[in-house]
Amino acid sequence: MSLATDGNLSMTDVAQARGSLAGRVARHLALFLGVMLVWEFASTYEFVDPLILPRPTAIAASLVNMVLYQGTVWFHLGVTLWEAVAGFVIGSVIGIGLAVAAGLNDSFRRYISPYIIALQVTPRIALAPIVIAWLGFGMMPKIAIGALICFFPPFINTLTGLLNVDEDANEMFRSLGAKKRQIFFSLMLPNAMPIIMAGLKTAISLALIGAIVGEFISASEGMGVLMQRYTFALNMASSFAVLVILTVMGYALFVLMEWADNWLVYWRHDARMTAMSRKKAKAWAGLLGRRQA
Amino acid sequence: MNAIASNLVAASTSHIDPDIVISARDLVKAFNSEVVALDRASFDIKRGSFVSLVGPSGCGKSTLLRLVAGLIGKSAGELSVLGHGVSGPSHEVGMMFQRPTLLEWRTAVENVLLPTEVQGATTDADRKRAIDLLQLVGLKDFEFSFPRQLSGGMQQRVALARLLQTGANILLLDEPFGALDEFTRERLNLELLRIVDDVDATVLFVTHNISEAIFLADQVMVMTPRPGRLAKVVDVPFERPREISLMQTPEFNRLVGEVRTILGGH
Repeated sequence: MSLATDGNLSMTDVAQARGSLAGRVARHLALFLGVMLVWEFASTYEFVDPLILPRPTAIAASLVNMVLYQGTVWFHLGVTLWEAVAGFVIGSVIGIGLAVAAGLNDSFRRYISPYIIALQVTPRIALAPIVIAWLGFGMMPKIAIGALICFFPPFINTLTGLLNVDEDANEMFRSLGAKKRQIFFSLMLPNAMPIIMAGLKTAISLALIGAIVGEFISASEGMGVLMQRYTFALNMASSFAVLVILTVMGYALFVLMEWADNWLVYWRHDARMTAMSRKKAKAWAGLLGRRQA
Repeated sequence: MNAIASNLVAASTSHIDPDIVISARDLVKAFNSEVVALDRASFDIKRGSFVSLVGPSGCGKSTLLRLVAGLIGKSAGELSVLGHGVSGPSHEVGMMFQRPTLLEWRTAVENVLLPTEVQGATTDADRKRAIDLLQLVGLKDFEFSFPRQLSGGMQQRVALARLLQTGANILLLDEPFGALDEFTRERLNLELLRIVDDVDATVLFVTHNISEAIFLADQVMVMTPRPGRLAKVVDVPFERPREISLMQTPEFNRLVGEVRTILGGH
Protein backbone atom coordinates (compact mmCIF):
# COMPACT_ATOMS: atom_id res chain seq x y z
CA MET A 1 0.00 0.00 0.00
CA SER A 2 1.21 3.49 -0.73
CA LEU A 3 -0.22 5.10 2.36
CA ALA A 4 3.14 6.44 3.47
CA THR A 5 2.73 9.64 1.47
CA ASP A 6 -0.67 10.41 2.90
CA GLY A 7 -0.08 12.15 6.18
CA ASN A 8 2.11 9.50 7.75
CA LEU A 9 5.63 10.32 8.80
CA SER A 10 8.20 8.58 6.67
CA MET A 11 11.21 6.97 8.33
CA THR A 12 13.53 9.81 7.33
CA ASP A 13 11.26 12.38 8.98
CA VAL A 14 11.30 10.37 12.19
CA ALA A 15 15.10 10.08 12.08
CA GLN A 16 15.49 13.82 11.58
CA ALA A 17 13.14 14.58 14.43
CA ARG A 18 15.17 12.27 16.69
CA GLY A 19 18.45 13.81 15.62
CA SER A 20 17.37 17.27 16.60
CA LEU A 21 15.55 16.12 19.75
CA ALA A 22 18.73 15.75 21.85
CA GLY A 23 19.87 19.18 20.74
CA ARG A 24 16.51 20.75 21.54
CA VAL A 25 16.42 19.20 25.02
CA ALA A 26 19.99 20.40 25.68
CA ARG A 27 19.12 23.97 24.68
CA HIS A 28 15.97 24.04 26.84
CA LEU A 29 17.86 22.58 29.80
CA ALA A 30 20.69 25.11 29.41
CA LEU A 31 18.24 28.03 29.39
CA PHE A 32 16.35 26.68 32.41
CA LEU A 33 19.53 26.10 34.42
CA GLY A 34 20.83 29.55 33.45
CA VAL A 35 17.68 31.23 34.77
CA MET A 36 17.82 29.16 37.97
CA LEU A 37 21.46 30.09 38.47
CA VAL A 38 20.77 33.83 38.12
CA TRP A 39 17.81 33.48 40.48
CA GLU A 40 19.95 31.56 42.99
CA PHE A 41 22.61 34.28 43.00
CA ALA A 42 20.08 37.13 43.11
CA SER A 43 18.46 35.58 46.14
CA THR A 44 21.67 34.48 47.91
CA TYR A 45 23.27 37.93 47.65
CA GLU A 46 19.92 39.59 48.45
CA PHE A 47 19.49 41.56 45.23
CA VAL A 48 15.90 40.47 45.88
CA ASP A 49 14.55 39.79 49.32
CA PRO A 50 14.57 35.98 49.87
CA LEU A 51 11.26 36.50 51.65
CA ILE A 52 9.82 37.51 48.30
CA LEU A 53 11.77 35.15 46.10
CA PRO A 54 13.38 32.27 47.98
CA ARG A 55 16.40 30.49 46.49
CA PRO A 56 15.60 27.68 44.02
CA THR A 57 17.70 25.32 46.14
CA ALA A 58 15.63 26.25 49.19
CA ILE A 59 12.44 25.55 47.25
CA ALA A 60 13.87 22.21 46.11
CA ALA A 61 14.81 21.34 49.68
CA SER A 62 11.29 22.15 50.92
CA LEU A 63 9.87 20.10 48.10
CA VAL A 64 11.98 17.07 48.96
CA ASN A 65 11.17 17.47 52.63
CA MET A 66 7.45 17.77 51.93
CA VAL A 67 7.21 14.89 49.53
CA LEU A 68 9.65 12.43 51.12
CA TYR A 69 9.68 13.10 54.88
CA GLN A 70 6.62 15.04 56.03
CA GLY A 71 4.12 13.06 54.01
CA THR A 72 1.03 15.12 54.96
CA VAL A 73 1.17 16.77 51.53
CA TRP A 74 -0.18 13.58 49.95
CA PHE A 75 -3.35 13.86 51.96
CA HIS A 76 -3.87 17.50 50.93
CA LEU A 77 -3.01 16.67 47.33
CA GLY A 78 -5.57 13.85 47.38
CA VAL A 79 -8.27 16.21 48.70
CA THR A 80 -7.62 18.85 46.04
CA LEU A 81 -7.35 16.27 43.26
CA TRP A 82 -10.62 14.67 44.30
CA GLU A 83 -12.38 18.06 44.44
CA ALA A 84 -11.00 19.06 41.03
CA VAL A 85 -11.83 15.77 39.31
CA ALA A 86 -15.31 15.56 40.85
CA GLY A 87 -15.98 19.19 39.90
CA PHE A 88 -14.74 18.49 36.39
CA VAL A 89 -16.90 15.40 35.96
CA ILE A 90 -20.06 17.07 37.31
CA GLY A 91 -19.49 20.30 35.37
CA SER A 92 -18.76 18.41 32.14
CA VAL A 93 -21.75 16.09 32.46
CA ILE A 94 -24.05 19.06 33.08
CA GLY A 95 -22.42 21.11 30.31
CA ILE A 96 -22.52 18.35 27.71
CA GLY A 97 -26.00 17.24 28.80
CA LEU A 98 -27.45 20.75 28.45
CA ALA A 99 -25.68 21.18 25.11
CA VAL A 100 -27.11 17.92 23.75
CA ALA A 101 -30.61 18.97 24.81
CA ALA A 102 -30.08 22.43 23.33
CA GLY A 103 -28.60 20.98 20.15
CA LEU A 104 -31.53 18.66 19.56
CA ASN A 105 -34.31 21.04 20.54
CA ASP A 106 -34.44 24.55 19.09
CA SER A 107 -36.96 25.97 21.54
CA PHE A 108 -35.07 24.60 24.55
CA ARG A 109 -31.96 26.30 23.15
CA ARG A 110 -33.79 29.63 22.84
CA TYR A 111 -35.12 29.39 26.41
CA ILE A 112 -31.85 28.57 28.14
CA SER A 113 -29.45 30.71 26.11
CA PRO A 114 -30.06 34.01 28.00
CA TYR A 115 -29.30 32.26 31.32
CA ILE A 116 -26.24 30.54 29.92
CA ILE A 117 -24.94 33.88 28.62
CA ALA A 118 -25.71 35.58 31.97
CA LEU A 119 -23.80 32.85 33.76
CA GLN A 120 -20.91 33.13 31.34
CA VAL A 121 -20.49 36.91 31.65
CA THR A 122 -20.74 36.73 35.47
CA PRO A 123 -17.30 36.24 37.01
CA ARG A 124 -18.44 32.92 38.45
CA ILE A 125 -15.65 32.80 40.98
CA ALA A 126 -17.59 35.61 42.73
CA LEU A 127 -20.26 33.00 43.47
CA ALA A 128 -17.78 31.03 45.59
CA PRO A 129 -18.65 32.63 48.97
CA ILE A 130 -22.36 32.13 48.26
CA VAL A 131 -21.79 28.48 47.37
CA ILE A 132 -19.84 27.99 50.59
CA ALA A 133 -22.64 29.65 52.55
CA TRP A 134 -25.03 27.15 50.97
CA LEU A 135 -23.00 23.99 51.21
CA GLY A 136 -20.84 24.47 54.30
CA PHE A 137 -17.16 23.81 54.77
CA GLY A 138 -16.43 20.33 53.45
CA MET A 139 -15.42 19.20 50.01
CA MET A 140 -18.90 19.67 48.51
CA PRO A 141 -18.72 23.46 48.04
CA LYS A 142 -15.27 23.15 46.36
CA ILE A 143 -16.62 20.54 43.99
CA ALA A 144 -19.62 22.75 43.28
CA ILE A 145 -17.42 25.80 42.61
CA GLY A 146 -15.21 23.74 40.29
CA ALA A 147 -18.27 22.43 38.43
CA LEU A 148 -19.73 25.92 38.19
CA ILE A 149 -16.69 27.54 36.63
CA CYS A 150 -15.72 24.59 34.39
CA PHE A 151 -19.09 23.69 32.84
CA PHE A 152 -19.09 26.42 30.20
CA PRO A 153 -16.36 25.23 27.78
CA PRO A 154 -17.83 21.70 27.48
CA PHE A 155 -21.27 23.24 27.04
CA ILE A 156 -20.45 25.75 24.33
CA ASN A 157 -18.05 23.42 22.51
CA THR A 158 -20.52 20.55 22.46
CA LEU A 159 -23.29 22.81 21.22
CA THR A 160 -21.06 24.28 18.51
CA GLY A 161 -19.90 20.82 17.46
CA LEU A 162 -23.42 19.40 17.29
CA LEU A 163 -24.79 22.32 15.29
CA ASN A 164 -21.80 22.50 12.97
CA VAL A 165 -22.67 19.43 10.90
CA ASP A 166 -21.94 19.37 7.20
CA GLU A 167 -25.27 19.96 5.41
CA ASP A 168 -24.39 17.48 2.64
CA ALA A 169 -23.60 14.76 5.16
CA ASN A 170 -26.92 15.46 6.84
CA GLU A 171 -28.74 15.16 3.50
CA MET A 172 -26.83 11.97 2.78
CA PHE A 173 -28.12 10.46 6.04
CA ARG A 174 -31.65 11.62 5.28
CA SER A 175 -31.49 10.16 1.78
CA LEU A 176 -30.64 6.82 3.42
CA GLY A 177 -33.83 7.15 5.45
CA ALA A 178 -31.93 7.63 8.74
CA LYS A 179 -33.92 8.45 11.87
CA LYS A 180 -33.09 11.44 14.05
CA ARG A 181 -31.53 9.16 16.67
CA GLN A 182 -29.28 7.56 14.04
CA ILE A 183 -28.20 10.95 12.70
CA PHE A 184 -27.36 12.02 16.26
CA PHE A 185 -25.26 9.00 17.20
CA SER A 186 -23.66 8.24 13.83
CA LEU A 187 -23.08 11.76 12.56
CA MET A 188 -23.58 14.66 14.97
CA LEU A 189 -21.89 13.19 18.05
CA PRO A 190 -18.71 11.77 16.43
CA ASN A 191 -18.49 14.91 14.32
CA ALA A 192 -18.50 17.00 17.52
CA MET A 193 -15.99 14.79 19.38
CA PRO A 194 -12.81 16.75 18.54
CA ILE A 195 -14.25 20.06 19.71
CA ILE A 196 -15.89 18.46 22.77
CA MET A 197 -12.48 17.12 23.80
CA ALA A 198 -10.97 20.59 23.36
CA GLY A 199 -13.65 21.92 25.73
CA LEU A 200 -12.92 19.20 28.29
CA LYS A 201 -9.20 20.04 28.23
CA THR A 202 -9.99 23.63 29.18
CA ALA A 203 -12.53 22.47 31.78
CA ILE A 204 -10.12 20.34 33.78
CA SER A 205 -7.80 23.31 34.42
CA LEU A 206 -10.77 25.45 35.39
CA ALA A 207 -12.02 22.81 37.84
CA LEU A 208 -8.61 22.81 39.54
CA ILE A 209 -8.75 26.60 39.86
CA GLY A 210 -12.25 26.32 41.33
CA ALA A 211 -11.16 23.78 43.94
CA ILE A 212 -8.18 25.88 45.07
CA VAL A 213 -10.12 29.15 45.24
CA GLY A 214 -12.75 27.32 47.29
CA GLU A 215 -10.02 26.17 49.66
CA PHE A 216 -8.67 29.71 49.95
CA ILE A 217 -12.03 31.00 51.05
CA SER A 218 -12.70 28.44 53.73
CA ALA A 219 -11.28 25.00 54.27
CA SER A 220 -9.25 22.92 56.66
CA GLU A 221 -7.64 20.65 54.09
CA GLY A 222 -6.31 20.76 50.54
CA MET A 223 -3.41 22.32 48.68
CA GLY A 224 -4.99 25.78 48.88
CA VAL A 225 -5.00 25.53 52.68
CA LEU A 226 -1.39 24.37 52.69
CA MET A 227 -0.45 27.27 50.45
CA GLN A 228 -2.12 29.82 52.72
CA ARG A 229 -0.67 28.29 55.86
CA TYR A 230 2.92 28.51 54.54
CA THR A 231 2.46 32.00 53.10
CA PHE A 232 0.99 33.36 56.35
CA ALA A 233 3.99 31.86 58.19
CA LEU A 234 6.26 33.57 55.62
CA ASN A 235 7.67 30.15 54.78
CA MET A 236 8.02 31.19 51.15
CA ALA A 237 10.18 28.25 50.08
CA SER A 238 7.41 25.84 51.11
CA SER A 239 4.75 28.00 49.42
CA PHE A 240 6.70 27.76 46.19
CA ALA A 241 7.12 24.03 46.70
CA VAL A 242 3.32 23.70 46.97
CA LEU A 243 3.06 25.69 43.73
CA VAL A 244 5.46 23.30 42.02
CA ILE A 245 3.35 20.33 43.14
CA LEU A 246 0.20 22.02 41.84
CA THR A 247 1.92 22.66 38.50
CA VAL A 248 2.90 19.00 38.25
CA MET A 249 -0.65 17.98 39.14
CA GLY A 250 -2.15 20.36 36.57
CA TYR A 251 0.25 19.03 33.97
CA ALA A 252 -0.59 15.43 34.82
CA LEU A 253 -4.30 16.16 34.36
CA PHE A 254 -3.57 17.90 31.07
CA VAL A 255 -1.53 14.92 29.82
CA LEU A 256 -4.33 12.60 30.85
CA MET A 257 -6.77 14.63 28.76
CA GLU A 258 -4.38 14.67 25.81
CA TRP A 259 -4.15 10.91 26.08
CA ALA A 260 -7.95 10.59 26.19
CA ASP A 261 -8.18 12.83 23.13
CA ASN A 262 -5.66 10.71 21.30
CA TRP A 263 -7.60 7.60 22.21
CA LEU A 264 -11.13 8.86 21.48
CA VAL A 265 -10.51 11.11 18.50
CA TYR A 266 -8.16 8.65 16.79
CA TRP A 267 -8.99 9.93 13.31
CA ARG A 268 -7.33 13.26 13.98
CA HIS A 269 -3.99 11.74 15.07
CA ASP A 270 -1.97 10.18 12.27
CA ALA A 271 -0.19 7.52 14.30
CA ARG A 272 -3.37 6.42 16.07
CA MET A 273 -5.28 6.43 12.78
CA THR A 274 -2.72 4.13 11.19
CA ALA A 275 -2.87 1.83 14.22
CA MET A 276 -6.70 1.76 14.08
CA SER A 277 -6.55 1.00 10.39
CA ARG A 278 -4.35 -2.00 11.09
CA LYS A 279 -6.55 -3.12 13.97
CA LYS A 280 -9.67 -3.01 11.80
CA ALA A 281 -7.94 -4.93 9.02
CA LYS A 282 -7.08 -7.61 11.57
CA ALA A 283 -10.65 -7.75 12.88
CA TRP A 284 -11.90 -8.31 9.34
CA ALA A 285 -9.22 -10.83 8.41
CA GLY A 286 -11.36 -13.82 9.43
CA LEU A 287 -14.23 -12.77 7.21
CA LEU A 288 -11.99 -12.08 4.24
CA GLY A 289 -9.98 -15.27 4.81
CA ARG A 290 -13.09 -17.46 4.78
CA ARG A 291 -14.12 -15.80 1.60
CA GLN A 292 -10.90 -16.57 -0.17
CA ALA A 293 -10.86 -20.20 0.99
CA MET B 1 -42.68 6.81 -28.36
CA ASN B 2 -40.18 9.22 -26.96
CA ALA B 3 -39.14 8.05 -23.51
CA ILE B 4 -39.04 11.57 -22.21
CA ALA B 5 -41.35 14.42 -23.01
CA SER B 6 -40.37 17.91 -21.99
CA ASN B 7 -42.81 20.62 -21.10
CA LEU B 8 -42.32 22.01 -24.61
CA VAL B 9 -43.41 18.77 -26.20
CA ALA B 10 -46.73 18.12 -24.51
CA ALA B 11 -46.61 14.96 -22.43
CA SER B 12 -48.94 12.41 -23.98
CA THR B 13 -48.38 9.39 -21.75
CA SER B 14 -51.40 9.36 -19.50
CA HIS B 15 -51.52 5.59 -19.00
CA ILE B 16 -49.10 3.91 -16.58
CA ASP B 17 -46.14 2.40 -18.39
CA PRO B 18 -44.22 -0.17 -16.29
CA ASP B 19 -41.05 0.87 -18.08
CA ILE B 20 -41.26 4.41 -16.70
CA VAL B 21 -39.50 4.69 -13.32
CA ILE B 22 -39.65 8.44 -12.78
CA SER B 23 -42.51 10.55 -14.01
CA ALA B 24 -43.18 14.25 -13.52
CA ARG B 25 -46.09 16.43 -14.66
CA ASP B 26 -45.93 20.22 -14.29
CA LEU B 27 -43.62 19.77 -11.33
CA VAL B 28 -43.00 23.07 -9.50
CA LYS B 29 -40.71 23.93 -6.62
CA ALA B 30 -40.84 27.46 -5.25
CA PHE B 31 -38.88 28.41 -2.14
CA ASN B 32 -41.00 31.55 -1.72
CA SER B 33 -43.17 33.70 -3.95
CA GLU B 34 -40.11 35.20 -5.66
CA VAL B 35 -37.74 32.26 -6.04
CA VAL B 36 -39.12 29.63 -8.38
CA ALA B 37 -36.37 27.00 -8.46
CA LEU B 38 -38.19 24.71 -10.84
CA ASP B 39 -41.04 25.78 -13.09
CA ARG B 40 -43.52 23.23 -14.48
CA ALA B 41 -41.22 20.40 -15.52
CA SER B 42 -42.74 17.34 -17.18
CA PHE B 43 -40.76 14.28 -18.15
CA ASP B 44 -40.63 10.49 -18.03
CA ILE B 45 -37.53 8.47 -17.38
CA LYS B 46 -37.28 4.93 -18.64
CA ARG B 47 -35.98 2.01 -16.63
CA GLY B 48 -32.27 1.44 -17.11
CA SER B 49 -31.61 4.70 -18.90
CA PHE B 50 -28.83 7.15 -18.11
CA VAL B 51 -30.13 10.71 -18.11
CA SER B 52 -27.97 13.78 -17.74
CA LEU B 53 -29.29 17.08 -16.42
CA VAL B 54 -27.22 19.93 -17.75
CA GLY B 55 -27.50 23.66 -17.27
CA PRO B 56 -25.91 26.66 -15.57
CA SER B 57 -26.14 27.38 -11.84
CA GLY B 58 -29.66 28.19 -10.72
CA CYS B 59 -31.39 26.20 -13.47
CA GLY B 60 -33.02 23.92 -10.90
CA LYS B 61 -31.12 20.73 -11.69
CA SER B 62 -30.10 20.08 -8.09
CA THR B 63 -33.60 21.01 -6.95
CA LEU B 64 -35.05 18.47 -9.38
CA LEU B 65 -32.69 15.81 -8.02
CA ARG B 66 -33.62 16.55 -4.41
CA LEU B 67 -37.31 16.40 -5.28
CA VAL B 68 -36.85 12.93 -6.77
CA ALA B 69 -34.78 11.90 -3.74
CA GLY B 70 -37.60 13.00 -1.44
CA LEU B 71 -35.28 15.36 0.43
CA ILE B 72 -37.50 18.34 -0.31
CA GLY B 73 -41.21 18.54 -1.04
CA LYS B 74 -42.74 19.81 -4.26
CA SER B 75 -44.84 22.97 -4.41
CA ALA B 76 -47.20 21.82 -7.16
CA GLY B 77 -47.61 19.27 -9.91
CA GLU B 78 -47.05 15.55 -9.85
CA LEU B 79 -43.98 13.44 -9.26
CA SER B 80 -43.91 9.69 -9.01
CA VAL B 81 -41.13 7.17 -8.64
CA LEU B 82 -41.90 3.55 -9.56
CA GLY B 83 -45.57 4.48 -9.79
CA HIS B 84 -45.85 5.98 -6.29
CA GLY B 85 -46.00 9.64 -5.37
CA VAL B 86 -42.80 10.82 -3.65
CA SER B 87 -43.37 11.61 0.03
CA GLY B 88 -39.87 11.19 1.46
CA PRO B 89 -36.58 9.35 1.03
CA SER B 90 -37.00 5.82 -0.30
CA HIS B 91 -34.77 2.75 -0.34
CA GLU B 92 -35.32 2.54 -4.09
CA VAL B 93 -33.49 5.82 -4.58
CA GLY B 94 -29.86 6.50 -3.70
CA MET B 95 -28.05 9.79 -3.89
CA MET B 96 -24.44 10.87 -4.28
CA PHE B 97 -23.13 14.38 -3.80
CA GLN B 98 -20.40 16.58 -5.24
CA ARG B 99 -18.45 16.14 -2.03
CA PRO B 100 -17.75 12.61 -0.81
CA THR B 101 -19.51 13.24 2.57
CA LEU B 102 -17.60 10.36 4.13
CA LEU B 103 -17.46 9.96 7.90
CA GLU B 104 -13.83 10.60 8.75
CA TRP B 105 -13.94 8.35 11.85
CA ARG B 106 -14.88 5.32 9.77
CA THR B 107 -12.71 3.23 7.49
CA ALA B 108 -13.61 2.99 3.81
CA VAL B 109 -15.49 -0.28 4.29
CA GLU B 110 -17.31 1.03 7.38
CA ASN B 111 -18.39 4.04 5.33
CA VAL B 112 -19.71 1.74 2.61
CA LEU B 113 -21.66 -0.19 5.27
CA LEU B 114 -23.45 2.91 6.54
CA PRO B 115 -26.60 2.42 4.42
CA THR B 116 -26.92 -1.16 5.72
CA GLU B 117 -26.48 -0.03 9.32
CA VAL B 118 -29.10 2.68 8.94
CA GLN B 119 -31.56 0.09 7.63
CA GLY B 120 -30.92 -2.44 10.41
CA ALA B 121 -28.48 -5.11 11.56
CA THR B 122 -25.38 -5.77 9.50
CA THR B 123 -24.69 -9.38 8.46
CA ASP B 124 -21.50 -11.00 7.18
CA ALA B 125 -23.11 -11.07 3.73
CA ASP B 126 -23.44 -7.27 3.89
CA ARG B 127 -19.80 -6.97 4.90
CA LYS B 128 -18.69 -9.16 2.03
CA ARG B 129 -20.78 -7.16 -0.37
CA ALA B 130 -19.16 -3.94 0.89
CA ILE B 131 -15.71 -5.42 0.30
CA ASP B 132 -16.78 -6.54 -3.20
CA LEU B 133 -18.14 -3.09 -4.00
CA LEU B 134 -14.89 -1.45 -2.95
CA GLN B 135 -13.14 -3.81 -5.33
CA LEU B 136 -15.63 -2.91 -8.05
CA VAL B 137 -14.81 0.80 -7.70
CA GLY B 138 -11.08 0.02 -7.76
CA LEU B 139 -10.27 0.32 -4.07
CA LYS B 140 -9.03 -3.17 -3.29
CA ASP B 141 -6.37 -2.91 -0.54
CA PHE B 142 -7.85 0.37 0.73
CA GLU B 143 -10.80 -1.15 2.63
CA PHE B 144 -9.38 -0.19 6.01
CA SER B 145 -7.99 3.23 5.14
CA PHE B 146 -9.61 6.26 6.72
CA PRO B 147 -10.92 9.04 4.43
CA ARG B 148 -8.05 11.34 5.39
CA GLN B 149 -5.63 8.71 4.06
CA LEU B 150 -7.33 8.72 0.63
CA SER B 151 -7.13 11.17 -2.27
CA GLY B 152 -10.19 13.14 -3.40
CA GLY B 153 -10.81 10.74 -6.28
CA MET B 154 -10.54 7.72 -4.02
CA GLN B 155 -12.92 9.30 -1.52
CA GLN B 156 -15.50 9.72 -4.28
CA ARG B 157 -15.00 6.07 -5.21
CA VAL B 158 -15.86 5.14 -1.62
CA ALA B 159 -18.96 7.34 -1.88
CA LEU B 160 -19.92 5.53 -5.08
CA ALA B 161 -19.49 2.14 -3.40
CA ARG B 162 -21.66 3.39 -0.52
CA LEU B 163 -24.31 4.45 -3.03
CA LEU B 164 -24.28 0.98 -4.59
CA GLN B 165 -24.46 -0.63 -1.14
CA THR B 166 -27.90 0.95 -0.67
CA GLY B 167 -29.15 -1.52 -3.26
CA ALA B 168 -31.14 1.30 -4.84
CA ASN B 169 -31.95 0.93 -8.53
CA ILE B 170 -32.41 4.63 -9.12
CA LEU B 171 -29.17 6.53 -8.67
CA LEU B 172 -29.14 10.30 -8.36
CA LEU B 173 -25.71 11.81 -8.86
CA ASP B 174 -25.27 15.51 -8.14
CA GLU B 175 -22.07 16.56 -9.96
CA PRO B 176 -20.34 13.57 -8.35
CA PHE B 177 -16.92 14.22 -9.83
CA GLY B 178 -17.25 18.00 -10.23
CA ALA B 179 -14.63 18.78 -7.60
CA LEU B 180 -11.98 16.52 -9.12
CA ASP B 181 -9.36 17.30 -11.73
CA GLU B 182 -10.20 16.68 -15.38
CA PHE B 183 -8.15 13.47 -15.77
CA THR B 184 -9.57 11.84 -12.66
CA ARG B 185 -13.06 12.92 -13.64
CA GLU B 186 -12.78 11.42 -17.10
CA ARG B 187 -11.50 8.13 -15.73
CA LEU B 188 -14.20 7.96 -13.06
CA ASN B 189 -16.88 8.75 -15.63
CA LEU B 190 -15.78 5.78 -17.72
CA GLU B 191 -15.79 3.54 -14.67
CA LEU B 192 -19.19 4.87 -13.66
CA LEU B 193 -20.58 3.82 -17.05
CA ARG B 194 -19.12 0.35 -16.63
CA ILE B 195 -20.49 0.03 -13.10
CA VAL B 196 -24.04 1.25 -13.72
CA ASP B 197 -24.16 -1.09 -16.69
CA ASP B 198 -23.14 -3.90 -14.31
CA VAL B 199 -25.79 -3.14 -11.70
CA ASP B 200 -28.48 -2.27 -14.26
CA ALA B 201 -29.51 1.01 -12.65
CA THR B 202 -31.45 4.03 -13.80
CA VAL B 203 -29.26 7.10 -13.42
CA LEU B 204 -29.99 10.81 -13.14
CA PHE B 205 -26.68 12.64 -13.46
CA VAL B 206 -26.38 16.37 -12.79
CA THR B 207 -23.52 18.30 -14.37
CA HIS B 208 -22.72 21.68 -15.80
CA ASN B 209 -20.32 20.20 -18.33
CA ILE B 210 -22.05 19.73 -21.69
CA SER B 211 -19.56 17.22 -23.15
CA GLU B 212 -19.69 15.12 -20.01
CA ALA B 213 -23.50 15.21 -20.05
CA ILE B 214 -23.65 13.95 -23.63
CA PHE B 215 -20.84 11.45 -23.34
CA LEU B 216 -22.50 9.62 -20.44
CA ALA B 217 -26.18 9.77 -21.27
CA ASP B 218 -28.95 8.26 -23.34
CA GLN B 219 -30.88 11.49 -22.94
CA VAL B 220 -29.77 14.96 -21.94
CA MET B 221 -32.27 17.15 -20.13
CA VAL B 222 -31.21 20.71 -20.92
CA MET B 223 -32.25 23.20 -18.24
CA THR B 224 -32.24 26.99 -18.22
CA PRO B 225 -32.23 29.35 -15.21
CA ARG B 226 -34.48 32.02 -13.66
CA PRO B 227 -36.86 30.39 -13.32
CA GLY B 228 -35.45 26.88 -13.57
CA ARG B 229 -37.02 25.26 -16.61
CA LEU B 230 -36.62 22.07 -18.52
CA ALA B 231 -35.94 23.57 -21.97
CA LYS B 232 -35.47 20.46 -24.06
CA VAL B 233 -34.66 16.78 -23.93
CA VAL B 234 -31.97 15.78 -26.40
CA ASP B 235 -31.57 12.13 -27.40
CA VAL B 236 -28.04 10.81 -27.57
CA PRO B 237 -27.84 8.10 -30.26
CA PHE B 238 -24.30 6.78 -29.68
CA GLU B 239 -23.84 3.09 -29.02
CA ARG B 240 -22.39 1.61 -25.88
CA PRO B 241 -19.80 0.93 -24.64
CA ARG B 242 -18.38 4.33 -25.46
CA GLU B 243 -14.76 5.35 -25.74
CA ILE B 244 -13.23 8.73 -24.94
CA SER B 245 -12.41 9.11 -28.63
CA LEU B 246 -16.15 9.53 -29.23
CA MET B 247 -15.74 13.10 -28.00
CA GLN B 248 -13.68 13.96 -31.08
CA THR B 249 -16.24 12.85 -33.66
CA PRO B 250 -18.23 15.43 -35.67
CA GLU B 251 -21.55 13.85 -34.56
CA PHE B 252 -20.59 14.36 -30.93
CA ASN B 253 -19.60 17.96 -31.53
CA ARG B 254 -22.81 18.59 -33.43
CA LEU B 255 -24.77 17.47 -30.35
CA VAL B 256 -22.61 19.67 -28.10
CA GLY B 257 -23.41 22.59 -30.44
CA GLU B 258 -27.10 21.79 -30.30
CA VAL B 259 -27.17 21.80 -26.49
CA ARG B 260 -25.09 24.95 -26.39
CA THR B 261 -27.57 26.68 -28.70
CA ILE B 262 -30.49 25.72 -26.46
CA LEU B 263 -28.64 27.05 -23.41
CA GLY B 264 -27.49 30.19 -25.25
CA GLY B 265 -31.00 31.06 -26.40
CA HIS B 266 -32.08 31.71 -22.81
